Amino acid sequence: MMTGDGTLALAALLLHALGFLTLAIVAPLRRLGRPAAFVSIACAVGSLVAAVLAWQQHMGGAVSRLVWEWLPSQGQALTTVGILADSDSTVMLSLVALVACLVQVYSLSYLSDEPAPSFGRYYTYQSLFAFSMMGLVLAPNLAQLFICWELVGVSSYLLIGFWYRKPSAARAAVKAFWITKAGDVGLLIGIVLLWRLAGTFDLTELRVLVENGALPVAGLSLITFCLYLGAAGKSAQFPMHVWLPDAMEGPTPVSALIHAATMVTAGVYLLVRTEWLFALTPDVLLIVAWIGALTALMAAVLACVQDDIKRVLAYSTVSQLGYMMTAIGAGFASAGFFHLLTHGLFKALLFLGAGAMIHAVHSNDLPDMGGLARRMPQTAIVFLIGTLSLAGIPLFGGFLSKEEVLGAVWAGGLGGPFVLLMIVAFLTAFYMFRVVFLAFSGRPPAHAHAHPHDPPAAMALPLWILAALSMAVGIYFTFTHPETEFTSPGWLMPTAVGSALAGIVLAWLTYERRTIDAASLAGAFGPIRDAALRRFWIDDIFEGIYTAALLGFSRVIGWLDRYIVDGVLNVVSSWTLTSGDDLRTLQTGRAQDYVYGVAVGLLILLLWARWALA
Amino acid sequence: MTGEIVGFWCLSALLVSSALAVVLTKNLFHSVLWLALALTGTAGVFLLLDAEFLAAVQLLLYAGGIVTVVVFAIVVTEKLVGERISQTSRRITSGAVASAALAWLIVSAVMERPLATGRRPMAVDLTKDIGETVLTRFVLPFELLAVLMLTGLLSAIYFARPEE
Amino acid sequence: MGLQAYLTLAAIVFSIGLFGVVTRRNTIGILLGIELMLNSVNINLVAFSRFGGDTTGMVFAVFTICITVVEAALGLAIVILLFRVRRTVTADHLDLLKG
Repeated sequence: MMTGDGTLALAALLLHALGFLTLAIVAPLRRLGRPAAFVSIACAVGSLVAAVLAWQQHMGGAVSRLVWEWLPSQGQALTTVGILADSDSTVMLSLVALVACLVQVYSLSYLSDEPAPSFGRYYTYQSLFAFSMMGLVLAPNLAQLFICWELVGVSSYLLIGFWYRKPSAARAAVKAFWITKAGDVGLLIGIVLLWRLAGTFDLTELRVLVENGALPVAGLSLITFCLYLGAAGKSAQFPMHVWLPDAMEGPTPVSALIHAATMVTAGVYLLVRTEWLFALTPDVLLIVAWIGALTALMAAVLACVQDDIKRVLAYSTVSQLGYMMTAIGAGFASAGFFHLLTHGLFKALLFLGAGAMIHAVHSNDLPDMGGLARRMPQTAIVFLIGTLSLAGIPLFGGFLSKEEVLGAVWAGGLGGPFVLLMIVAFLTAFYMFRVVFLAFSGRPPAHAHAHPHDPPAAMALPLWILAALSMAVGIYFTFTHPETEFTSPGWLMPTAVGSALAGIVLAWLTYERRTIDAASLAGAFGPIRDAALRRFWIDDIFEGIYTAALLGFSRVIGWLDRYIVDGVLNVVSSWTLTSGDDLRTLQTGRAQDYVYGVAVGLLILLLWARWALA
Repeated sequence: MTGEIVGFWCLSALLVSSALAVVLTKNLFHSVLWLALALTGTAGVFLLLDAEFLAAVQLLLYAGGIVTVVVFAIVVTEKLVGERISQTSRRITSGAVASAALAWLIVSAVMERPLATGRRPMAVDLTKDIGETVLTRFVLPFELLAVLMLTGLLSAIYFARPEE
Repeated sequence: MGLQAYLTLAAIVFSIGLFGVVTRRNTIGILLGIELMLNSVNINLVAFSRFGGDTTGMVFAVFTICITVVEAALGLAIVILLFRVRRTVTADHLDLLKG
């Protein structure tokens, strides 16, 4: 293992920090709006270049570690801060840098009608987010990872709630923060317990311990489960997925960045980074896999009934995250990671494309869109590329990564999740093509008043770049199968592709040809559809538990306060008053009685002097 | 049996019995008279202790002066009230117990330790000695005492002045 | 008779005086009790002085007698004043300090 030079990766990280600090501190610059955007974009471009170069350096397996002592302790530092660049982290770094840069460019045009101070604020948050995400990706130890994890959460809160005057946006931001925070508590507990077990936060040292078998396995399951909880929160696994659809309240570029390519993948990334630790606890991995598969299925079902295009994409992301987790749960984290990377590309593409469509028709809803292919041909092409990638059709981006996930799950011996994932593949193709057919083909709806057109250059350029990359990846991997740790059975690929094609066909028949009536198709799945429309009541359950717990708890506290705290005080005060009344009878006002008191007191003193002291 | 011992026991009996009479008599006037007797007894005790000057002072000031003043006070208050002031005392038992206990305590403390039984030699003419001591060693308290008595005199006159 | 005898005598007279102070209802009666107590103190002083060989005790006794005279005069003046104001010399009725 060669040791590389970590400065490029560090530069990528620090450029975004520079961007953030400049915009945060120099308020006049920020309030100018467009100049602030250019500062941020310049840093983003520089960071992208540095990241790609760093990736090139570390592609072959080189590892660089640049750390500085941070929290002192006896002997060596308690924890360090710095970067750990290896092939995984640099490729993730490049993905983050790429999507961040493209999203920032896209936002120049998408958010052009924002007032200048808010525009500057947006770019400040974007820089902060990019910095935090990179800090997380490059973290050499779990402490820095946790801090950047939390920073990512904060930035996402700020970005989801960007239009904070809108009540639904503010609520969505808080919801996202709360639910990921619940997971983060688990993560923190896991990190601390791991430190207690192993004595270090550092990932390299932990890995050495694990490889030498020096880490005691007792109690490790709890630790990995706690770490998984943190990942489940951020990566929207059931039941902590509820924040992601609501998070679509934020601007679409934000959704493309955070809820497609980067923040939600942090959970998956964590599991990939610590796969050698999870490998020691197969029972937890089994839980990861099953929950991943169930999440994938549930989200796919939910995506089929949404009318808001962003919601469809949000549930699609949840579903794909479930895919990645299942692969990790099967024991082949590299397959999950591969899917993470390709998914990042085409999901960002889909979101940005959706953004173009929303911008054109001034509405998020599919019923307001129709026949857009004629008016917005460029958008139609890139969106179709993205959709085909998501569906996993050969020659397109997601094809091989999806294959690998399915192959990994099969090789891991998880039959149940495998079947579920096959169904999900069918459903994915179905709901995505439902969107395509409803939005692009057919005739514009009667009530449409806007004149949709292709997006301007600032928005179109990122779209084309992502589409080109997606296709390049797809074509490259269709013809070059990298070696994997497992071999998939021969029937796997045709079945997967077939399942996707079946979904496309069903969607075509229903929404394009109208041979199958959509309403009766929906009716066939009656109760499931109704449940899906209510998001399977998960939100309501959460709310009910929360309210009941909070009210119950406050009632208990209220009772304690009234009867115990106030009770004690009341008893003390009433005793004081009663004893005061009783003692007052001593004050007769007659001097003679007082003399008597003095005499008795003197007597007692003398008695005491005589016996106690003598 | 020396004269001193006989004298002591007689005087003690006199003193104690008249003291008891002071506190137990119902009639206040009789009480004052018993007090006069008690004070005279004390003067006798002083004589036993070779303090002639003190015995004289005791008789003059105490038995003569104070008793007279008290009698006048009784007459003044009794006259105005117009009846004999009765002396139904309260708290007799507890008072008696407390006093008895106190007496017993002090006596037992005194009895414990061996105290001087023999008299030390003193000046023959104690009066002269006392006079000299007052005007030399204790001249300051003497002067202050004079001021105090003057103040007391003035205050008493002020307090008891006729109503305007 | 040794010192102890005189001290015992003084103690007995003192406690009788205390009994009087505590028990008597009439204010003047209380003053009489006080007189007895002060008297017994004088006996003590003179006895110590005699058996100790120092005239200081006797001088102290002289001073005590003088001060007692002043105190008796003032006390009685107050009793008369109280009588004028409150029309009573019964100690039980003088309870303005009652709280």
